[in-house]
Amino acid sequence: MIKDPASAIILKTGPGTKIRDLGRVGFAEYGIAQAGPLDQSAYLWVNHLLRNHQNEAVLEITQPGFSIRFDAPTLICLAGAKAQVVLNGKEAGSSGLIPILEGSKLEIRNFELGSILYLGIKWGFQSPSWLGSRSYSTGISDQDFVKKGDSIPYFTNHETTTIHTFSQANWDYKYLSESAIRVYAGPEFSQLPKREKEKIIGYEFTISTLKNSMAIQLEEPFPNQLSEIYTAPVYPGTIQLTPGGKIICLLSDAQVTGGYPRILQIHEDDIRILAQKRSGNRIKFKLLK
Amino acid sequence: MVVKRPELRKITPRIWELFWEEEPSSSLRNNRISIKNWLENQYHSELLEIRQGYQTISIVWKNEGPEDFYTSFPEYFNSEDLKPQTWEIPVCYGGNFGKDLDQLCTEKAISKENLIQIHSQSEYVVEFYGFLPGFMYLSGLHPDLISARKSIPDRKVEAGSVAIGGKQTGIYPLESPGGWHVIGKTPIKIFDKDQTPPVNPQPGDFVRFYPISEEEFDDLSASSKTLRQS
Repeated sequence: MIKDPASAIILKTGPGTKIRDLGRVGFAEYGIAQAGPLDQSAYLWVNHLLRNHQNEAVLEITQPGFSIRFDAPTLICLAGAKAQVVLNGKEAGSSGLIPILEGSKLEIRNFELGSILYLGIKWGFQSPSWLGSRSYSTGISDQDFVKKGDSIPYFTNHETTTIHTFSQANWDYKYLSESAIRVYAGPEFSQLPKREKEKIIGYEFTISTLKNSMAIQLEEPFPNQLSEIYTAPVYPGTIQLTPGGKIICLLSDAQVTGGYPRILQIHEDDIRILAQKRSGNRIKFKLLK
Repeated sequence: MVVKRPELRKITPRIWELFWEEEPSSSLRNNRISIKNWLENQYHSELLEIRQGYQTISIVWKNEGPEDFYTSFPEYFNSEDLKPQTWEIPVCYGGNFGKDLDQLCTEKAISKENLIQIHSQSEYVVEFYGFLPGFMYLSGLHPDLISARKSIPDRKVEAGSVAIGGKQTGIYPLESPGGWHVIGKTPIKIFDKDQTPPVNPQPGDFVRFYPISEEEFDDLSASSKTLRQS
């Protein structure tokens, strides 16, 4: 099989774009975050449709205003947020396989629903790997983010595949409008008085502007009497409550340990619901027994 | 040694935690590390990873955790099986490398020489890693050096900075914002992302700091030495 090196050039990008694969499992004991995808289902979906290995590297795009040019034919796939996507000046869908010709230019304009879009490519992006993963991660990868002018390697077989759109499975956008997030009680949940437990489970919260791939802070203050804890492990999906009354939901690039009470842990399938939210969106927690 | 039985908390079907409701101490640490080692042997194929905190071991299972888990603990652990190593870390104290040293000495009303002596003559133990890649949580800071963190953190603390924050001392493995008092800097690379594993000291190992001059700092920097055992 022909697999020749080719590259994709980043013509334009907002902040936060990263290369992601499944990340670094087993390095938390050295203080290293896994740095897997923020929306794992969408990530897995693009590799699945491309018939890639599930750990092949993709682009994780979290801001509108992204543009990329491919210098050789390939096949790409999109999934995650619903966005306005333009291929060589023509509207294209924001999910599913897209055949790419030599010199094709793909633009991602507005995000209509959700905030994270994955761009996968046949055989995966061939960017460098550190500690067993190509995922960008501060202090581990040589760069923190993908930037304008970057050239990202991939493989081409010089052929553009023909896709029959009617035969494609559809990406289900429903979870992007979901507001209920299933949670388990965290280790320090029991320290909250009954009234506060009911409040955190019953109330609606707003996503604040303090949002990145490490954490999302909720807008509403939550006054409480819990004190800091001896530093303990935390995970993507751990929800911390600070003594100052801030609720912080941890995501893929969070530290592996923390000193704030861990009041809730999001069901692993629902982390994507939260991660896809934009500031101003509303959520509520649904406690699992 | 009799091991106090930890409380088992099943946070999710896959994330479990063992919790000891007691103040951190050397015996708690030894128990914790012995149990962690035992778990890694016993459940090797079922475990995805184990993380540690001062009072906790957190377990991520590949699938759901085993049903017979809590009843399968042995009654005794011999912490003499732990073979801790000692790591010597050179530090150039004060000056440009330890911008907060003078201020800290003033607050503590001790001389610079005295502070350096106390800091470099204590023996520290690696509890676990966290906060940043390769950041060691070290216990063993002399009570005279305990100092509340800065109310406004510094935007940039250089990699290699040795600092004191609360009851802890530590080395910033990477450049990072930080609220600890920087008292010196090591020319040694503690964390190397191009090595596997990227760090050498293991939880339970000892760490000692020894003072070096600026000339020695420059020489060691130039030779890009890695950590040595004593």
